[in-house]
Amino acid sequence: MSTLSSATPAGDVKDSTAPPGATNPAGGAGATDPDGGTGAGFHGPSTGSGTGTRPALAAGEQLGSAAGERLVSATGVPVRPSAPRAAVRLLASELGLTFRKPRNIAMLIVLACVPVLLGVVLRVVGGDNDAPSLITQVAGNGLMLTFAAMTLLVELLLPLAVAVVAGDAIAGEAGGGTLRYLLTAPAGRTRLLAVKFANVSVFALVACSVVAAAALITGFALFPVGPVTLLSGSTISIADGLLRILIVTGYAAAGMAALGAVGLAVSTLTEVPIGAVAATVVGVVFSHVLSVIPQLEPVRPYLLTSWWSSFDGALRDPVATDVMTQGLLVFAAYTVICGSLAWARFSSRDITS
Amino acid sequence: MPSQSRRSRAVRWGVPVAAIAVVGAAVGTGPVIAAVQGDPTLPDRTAEQLLAEVAKTARQSQPPAMSGTVVETASLGLPSLPIPGGSSSSPMSLLSGSHTLKVWYGGDDRLRLALPGPMSETDLISTGKGEAWVWQSDANTATRYKLPEGKAGAHATPSVLPTAKTPSDVAAEVLKAADGNTSIRVENGQHIAGRAAYQLVLTPKASTSLVKEVRLALDGENYIPLRVQIYAKGTAEPAFEVGFTQVTFSTPAPENFAFTPPAGAKVEEKTLGAGDGSSGDQGAETPQAADAARSKLRTFGSGWGTIAEVPFSLADLAKPATGERGGKWGGEGDPAKVADSLLKSAKQVSGPWGSGKVLQTKLVSALFTDDGRLLVGAVTPEALAEAAGQK
Repeated sequence: MSTLSSATPAGDVKDSTAPPGATNPAGGAGATDPDGGTGAGFHGPSTGSGTGTRPALAAGEQLGSAAGERLVSATGVPVRPSAPRAAVRLLASELGLTFRKPRNIAMLIVLACVPVLLGVVLRVVGGDNDAPSLITQVAGNGLMLTFAAMTLLVELLLPLAVAVVAGDAIAGEAGGGTLRYLLTAPAGRTRLLAVKFANVSVFALVACSVVAAAALITGFALFPVGPVTLLSGSTISIADGLLRILIVTGYAAAGMAALGAVGLAVSTLTEVPIGAVAATVVGVVFSHVLSVIPQLEPVRPYLLTSWWSSFDGALRDPVATDVMTQGLLVFAAYTVICGSLAWARFSSRDITS
Repeated sequence: MPSQSRRSRAVRWGVPVAAIAVVGAAVGTGPVIAAVQGDPTLPDRTAEQLLAEVAKTARQSQPPAMSGTVVETASLGLPSLPIPGGSSSSPMSLLSGSHTLKVWYGGDDRLRLALPGPMSETDLISTGKGEAWVWQSDANTATRYKLPEGKAGAHATPSVLPTAKTPSDVAAEVLKAADGNTSIRVENGQHIAGRAAYQLVLTPKASTSLVKEVRLALDGENYIPLRVQIYAKGTAEPAFEVGFTQVTFSTPAPENFAFTPPAGAKVEEKTLGAGDGSSGDQGAETPQAADAARSKLRTFGSGWGTIAEVPFSLADLAKPATGERGGKWGGEGDPAKVADSLLKSAKQVSGPWGSGKVLQTKLVSALFTDDGRLLVGAVTPEALAEAAGQK
């Protein structure tokens, strides 16, 4: 039972009104709460929080009780499910909450609207000759809209959406008072953090895919589609172009997931979710500012933001695998460092609310 | 209990510290590992032996087919210029900052250079069939340069080396010529792009020179130059460096040397004049104009301390550039604007020779005198002023 006992026991739960299942840090929540291992059992106690941060209460309770029945063995002794299965279930529950939250849905809709808007404007106004080549090329080939939209969004709007989900991950639970109920489950803080990061990563992938899909649909609907001209001047088939769109989306999602790790680390530092979100976004903006100061050019390769747009390596001939591999390594380094910082902070922290 | 908890907390925070250390070590030691891994044993060579080998290889065979990544870093100490920043794919941006170029060379004049920028790329493709393409994805423009007949294979043998002598004679001659103003030494044990290399270090003897030394790294096997570094006096980092960070000596795929203008691109045709075959834009200038300019050129000094003087008036620069050129570079990289901002940062100086404006960078100084001369050299401004006095 390492969930709450790593900090001073008295400091763990100060609120005397908390339900009995949560107040006994050493007693083993798994024993008192049969469905604790599923990660869904916390939804019951949180009914009273009234903050609305966990809106899927009914679904959660159903899931929890159903799991609980299965988990009680014939002798009546609760059985913990295998760790991977429990983690998968916890992740599924997290994903359900993330993608049902109206705010997140709204963000995804806004993200999808940008390529549509871009396509409609280009269709109506038409590219003028002074515009960057990428924009004028969209008029000739709908597939280019995906790359144009990704270039536009990967700098700020996609990071913003990911920062909101990542910053909210721990701080939102802490601020809403649901974190300690989450921690009463025997899942452990490490697994909870891992699930939170997986959740953010999936959201990043979905956000990037939404942008790519919206751009593709708009491109196919409004513009002629044909062989794609790469940045190097050579031309590839539509199928190859779609494959490159897939690479671009995956790369962008990896970059956004790395930002998710940063946001998660910030999120463990505070109980104010908006603070964590703002700090992450300010960090992104600050990093963009740093990367345009010529005197700080040597710093640029170490900034997370300067690698996001390197997905253009997939549009060269031959594909600039060296640059993109380096970008992925930078993303991995940020994920490892920020992930371990988040873990150190989260697993040694007193949960007081 | 509290001490135990403190200890466990310390252990937990040790994990991120270790993670940072590992990443830092991976970033910091990557080049070191690459350097150590390379083949460390090259036989020692004196400068003369090395030059003889280079001359022999250059005469006997064409440069081998290769491909690689070249990084160019310029820290010339130029004043801040209105040129496209950092990683732009405009060729003008090479004047400052660090840039990555991809190079493919397939022998027989087949060459491709790619300068990648953010969502853009500039390519130079020499197909080996008497034509070269310049592709600028920014402008969606492909320019086809026709090379004059018969010149295609002309650069195969370096014309600077007299062909009638043995390589060792050439080496001795080069060393003799350099002896007056340069000291040359050879460093062994260099590793560039994972290849063992010799490094020739040329140190100017002239005290007025701004150049501390020039380092030229040659591949230990086939004597291809792998890196050039130019150090300015008083700096530890090279003012200019261009070198391979990755190189492979194998024939690149033939697609690299073929170019078909993509549908919808603007295609321009240009024929390179009889002038300088290698520089595209100057091709339009007539040879007469070049001759006229040459006759007006005066030089002072020799070797590293050479100073060139040409008639030049500041009023010329103030004129707007011709419409064609201004349009070609777009707003940011306009040479007229670059020149304008260069002049703004120039210092006003005067002396017995008159007065003018002096511009100093790490490697080059320029003196614009008010009586319409321009003196340029890789020397200190004082040396320029002295030369300006020798009318």
